[in-house]
Amino acid sequence: MIVLITLLLTLLLTPARAAEPVSIARQGEAVGQVVLGILSYVRWPQEPAELQLCVVGPTEFADGLLSGLVQNSGRHVAVQRRAIDDPQLGESCDAVYLGALGDFDRRQVGMALSGHAVLSISERDPDCSVGSMFCLDIRPARVAFAVNLDAVARSGVRVHPNVLKLARQGSRP
Amino acid sequence: MNVPRTPARRRPSLRRLLYRAHLGVALAAVSLAGLAVVAVGVLTLRVYAEHNLRLIGRSMAYTVEAAVVFNDATAAAEALGLIASREEVARATLYDRNGGVLADWQRSGSGFEHDATQWLLGPESVLPIVRDGATLGEIHLRGSGGRLLSFLLTGLGGMLACLLLIALGAFYLSHRVVERIIGPLDRLADVAQAVRRDREFSHRVPAAHIAELDELGGNFNALLDELESWQTRLVSENASLAHRANHDSLTHLPNRSFFEGRLSRALRDVAGREEKAALLFIDTDHFKTINDRFGHAAGDAVLVAIATRISGQLRESDLVARLGGDEFAVLLAPLSDDAIAVRIADDIIASMAVPISLPAGGSVTASLTIGIALYPQHGPTPEALLHSADSAMYEAKRQARGERRLAVCGDNEQDKETSDVVETL
Repeated sequence: MIVLITLLLTLLLTPARAAEPVSIARQGEAVGQVVLGILSYVRWPQEPAELQLCVVGPTEFADGLLSGLVQNSGRHVAVQRRAIDDPQLGESCDAVYLGALGDFDRRQVGMALSGHAVLSISERDPDCSVGSMFCLDIRPARVAFAVNLDAVARSGVRVHPNVLKLARQGSRP
Repeated sequence: MNVPRTPARRRPSLRRLLYRAHLGVALAAVSLAGLAVVAVGVLTLRVYAEHNLRLIGRSMAYTVEAAVVFNDATAAAEALGLIASREEVARATLYDRNGGVLADWQRSGSGFEHDATQWLLGPESVLPIVRDGATLGEIHLRGSGGRLLSFLLTGLGGMLACLLLIALGAFYLSHRVVERIIGPLDRLADVAQAVRRDREFSHRVPAAHIAELDELGGNFNALLDELESWQTRLVSENASLAHRANHDSLTHLPNRSFFEGRLSRALRDVAGREEKAALLFIDTDHFKTINDRFGHAAGDAVLVAIATRISGQLRESDLVARLGGDEFAVLLAPLSDDAIAVRIADDIIASMAVPISLPAGGSVTASLTIGIALYPQHGPTPEALLHSADSAMYEAKRQARGERRLAVCGDNEQDKETSDVVETL
């Protein structure tokens, strides 16, 4: 009986359990690719020898990032987690990857970044209206992104127009 | 003389030969040149088309680069279609770095154009999308040969038009050349035919425009000159030979054979017209004595003098001949009256009364005995008539030399009457 129930449970749960980590891992990989792509299209006023990517807040797909990245050009990208209220975000980071943040946190991070040439990417910000320059739209099939042009204009980093053209404007799916 | 010739239809005329040669050369030249131009044009256009395709590819690579980086198939397809639809592209396929198809764009078009394009443009063009030294993917491009095809068709059409024009031009030029060649040849043939058919040597070939034909005409004219002089010489030699064959070289009078021919012809004519004629047989008296006494030169001089004097007594239509030795014969035809024959014989005898000067000096008087035979009374044929005259002459000689005597024929009543008439004169 127990064996039967275990078997049934296994049958019922195994696909879901097995599928979820695989899907998340694949999506994480895709997120990593998109982040690398965005990084490759961005220019800083002073190009750092090694990019500092700071991951802030609770993230779902950033695990792949944390192991470190290497750009096509050979430049290493150092990834580290930072606290939301870290006042050094603007000075020590070239790019920030924001997890799921509330409006307050988002503003706080925005304050910390203002005045510094820092690229900001949000993992979950469907409106993409406040703070972040790039907002990821992560779906099972593929990872798209939107661009907040105001934020891009204010940020102090230059973004290649090709990427801007590619982005979904505002709430466009 | 006539060499058997193959039928004329098997031999092409010079005109046709020239037309054909001209047309052939012109068409071959235009075809070769046209094909060469089209081939070079196609090759050049192909090179340019390839180059153009690479440029399009590079432009596409630049445009779709971001889309490939972010693996955005929709954006890639949009960017690909945007460029490909405006350019000479038949198909554009975008592969990502793993070889998967990210976007594919294909122009809708006719199958024929597609096939022709494949043949003309060759394999597709492959361009890698490189960013920061890494290959992100590849663009595979296949060009659309619409422009190449239209060039090819236009080129071929132009070549055909040129061929037509050239054919007309060749025809016209051939016509001119043929006129210049055939014209003189025709005139040459005309002259040759006139010479052959009519022995007309006075015609000459006119000057021709082409040097070789002019030379040919000149040589032909020179040949005609030679032929003409040969012909003239031949005719005169023939005449002199005929004269020599028919005439006595000493007195230049006709000889016996010529006289006999003329006699039989004259008798035929006279008989046909129912006229009369007379034959005088003349013998020189004592010619042997003159020869013996004064020599052969004197004898010859006497014979010449006798010939001259006999000729002097004759009418325009009469004929005197030397039959041989010291014998002469005279044909009096036509004769209106028998008495005229007797009177002419008397005149001849009388003309000998004047002495003949001899070349060695001195002179001699010769006399003639004449036998007269009348036609048709004294003989119906030339032989009979000659015989009658001969007999009459011998009869006269027996009686008295230096006389004339009319032939007699015992059976003929008319003969007696004629004798009577003559005796009364």
